[in-house]
Amino acid sequence: MPEKVTRREFLRTSLLALAAPGLLVSCAKEAEKRVVNFFNWSKYIGKDTLPRFLRESGVSVNYEEFADEEEMTAKLRSGARGYDLIVAADYQIPRLKASNLIDPIPQGVLFNQGNIDPQFRNTPYDPDNAYSVPYLWGTTGIAYNKNKVPQTPSSWEALWDEKQSGKISMLDNARDCISMALLLKGYPEDTTDERQLEQAKQLLLAQKPLVRQYSSATYIDGLVAGELTLAMAWSGDALQARRENPQIDYVIPREGSFMWADNLCLVRGSRHREDALKLVDYLIRKDVAAEIANTVRYASPNAAARPLLDPALLKDPRVFPLAAVKTRLRFHALLDPDTTQLWNELWSDVKVS
Amino acid sequence: MRFLSWLIRGKSPKASHLMLAPAALWLLIFLILPIIGLLALSFIQRGPYGTLLWSFTWGNFSRALNPKYLPVLLRTLGYASSATFLCLLLGFPLAYYLSFGAGRSRGTLLVLLMVPFWTSCLVSLYSWMIILGRQGLLNHLLLKLGLAENPLALLNTPFSVLLGLVYFYLPFMVLPLFGSLEKIPRSYIEASYDLGAGTWATFRKVTWPLCLPGVFAGCLLTFVPCLGDFLTADFLGGSGTYLLGNLIQNQFLMAQDWPFGAALTTVLTFCLTWAIFLHQRFEGRELEMRG
Repeated sequence: MPEKVTRREFLRTSLLALAAPGLLVSCAKEAEKRVVNFFNWSKYIGKDTLPRFLRESGVSVNYEEFADEEEMTAKLRSGARGYDLIVAADYQIPRLKASNLIDPIPQGVLFNQGNIDPQFRNTPYDPDNAYSVPYLWGTTGIAYNKNKVPQTPSSWEALWDEKQSGKISMLDNARDCISMALLLKGYPEDTTDERQLEQAKQLLLAQKPLVRQYSSATYIDGLVAGELTLAMAWSGDALQARRENPQIDYVIPREGSFMWADNLCLVRGSRHREDALKLVDYLIRKDVAAEIANTVRYASPNAAARPLLDPALLKDPRVFPLAAVKTRLRFHALLDPDTTQLWNELWSDVKVS
Repeated sequence: MRFLSWLIRGKSPKASHLMLAPAALWLLIFLILPIIGLLALSFIQRGPYGTLLWSFTWGNFSRALNPKYLPVLLRTLGYASSATFLCLLLGFPLAYYLSFGAGRSRGTLLVLLMVPFWTSCLVSLYSWMIILGRQGLLNHLLLKLGLAENPLALLNTPFSVLLGLVYFYLPFMVLPLFGSLEKIPRSYIEASYDLGAGTWATFRKVTWPLCLPGVFAGCLLTFVPCLGDFLTADFLGGSGTYLLGNLIQNQFLMAQDWPFGAALTTVLTFCLTWAIFLHQRFEGRELEMRG
């Protein structure tokens, strides 16, 4: 979901055609050395994280990166063997579970599990953290260009501003856009009332003429280059754009918004289970988690790591929202399969119109 | 050695069939089997969370043929045919020059035509994004020359998508055209002049009819990939340039609805095959009538 540090599309090659040759080689050699195959977002780890793991435990990590969540799932689903550990967004976990692609986390094996903030312990997408260990988290909000937008956008309605027509970008997926439209209408996210969903669709259709692009990745470049003045954005992306162009700022609208978490999950059929768990335990150790968050500038769900975080990061309300804002944030509701299908249809209708 | 000469001399028909084996096997494994798989996929049901339920259904097709997808289909056909037409317009003079006028520089020019194939298409797409952007090279130039007062919105428009398609598929048009122009015996053209035809008449009555197979091949090689292209629309397009390729790609990735994506693909492939088949029959009949 997050993290497309500049040019992530370079990795976005034609999906399924790419088996991972590196993995094949590693499988052949695994007899002589201990290894974990870790599949993660691009640029989503500390500089010294993995080398240090090798020094401490003698286990080397084959680190492979993906550029979008769907690509990763498609790869797993099409039977790419060999991954032991993946990072998956919250909404993916029920899907991965239903498709038998991930295994439960054995209880009582992880020493550092207590480091995780209680807020991330009993989430709608994975009650009791049976299948996932939170890795990093962030929010969805509005990124805007301070020079071009007269007032700070305080409501999601700002994305319907006629004055910014042709300079607005929306995240390119059903989950974000439809849940936001429902939020704006004041309807519950997991509504099954077709009238309410129809109204959400009409809202998005009314917005379409103003929308320049539906994008979950290239909008970062658009913001930096000044092509876009307003974008529905993920916090991490907005901050990256801000690093390249200080005029970009990020805000969570007053109606509230959604938070998301990326999680470590064990791949079913992994042949390095013990070492993979060791790696998970290492990644949630407070000093390691802090190093990762300080490098990638995302919020860490690791409560024990807080004192070790860069103060600037910790004080940045764009990364760690203030308490008052935090009460208006929630995880995406878990939708049943039929509703999910309905949402996909609805989103497709918006896109094809 | 003896086996090889038996193969190559081609005296026995069986041996020449053997020569086909490697290519046939390749096609079977990498083309026919995936197509069969796709067909099978389009008749099964989608389970919860994108899992596959192996039970037969026509449902994916009834969804794929829903009239609400008509605008996308028409839009895609529009982009593909405009891109093909533009490629022909730009490509024909180029191929003609390569074949008849380039002389010594022909080799160099042909190599230059291949350059787009050597760069990753993502690099090209990003380059176009940089060129067409609000603060991009092109706008910079227009402002400098006083041709525009304010930066133009060129990126994420139908214009930029069409430009991308033409840029990517122009070589696919030029090469078959060049090949068919090369094959025209120059003596025919001389004969035409000899018999009193002017330049224009010669082109219309000799050159053009003789290179028609190349025109057709070039148009097909441009049109078909344009129909399925999604990257160009993804990168250079905007909210109004959603094409069939994007719809199919989204079924496979975002919506995790593989059966529906497969059904859409099957419908598209079927229509294309049918159109090409019709064309071949029509062309065959025309030849018979002339003959």
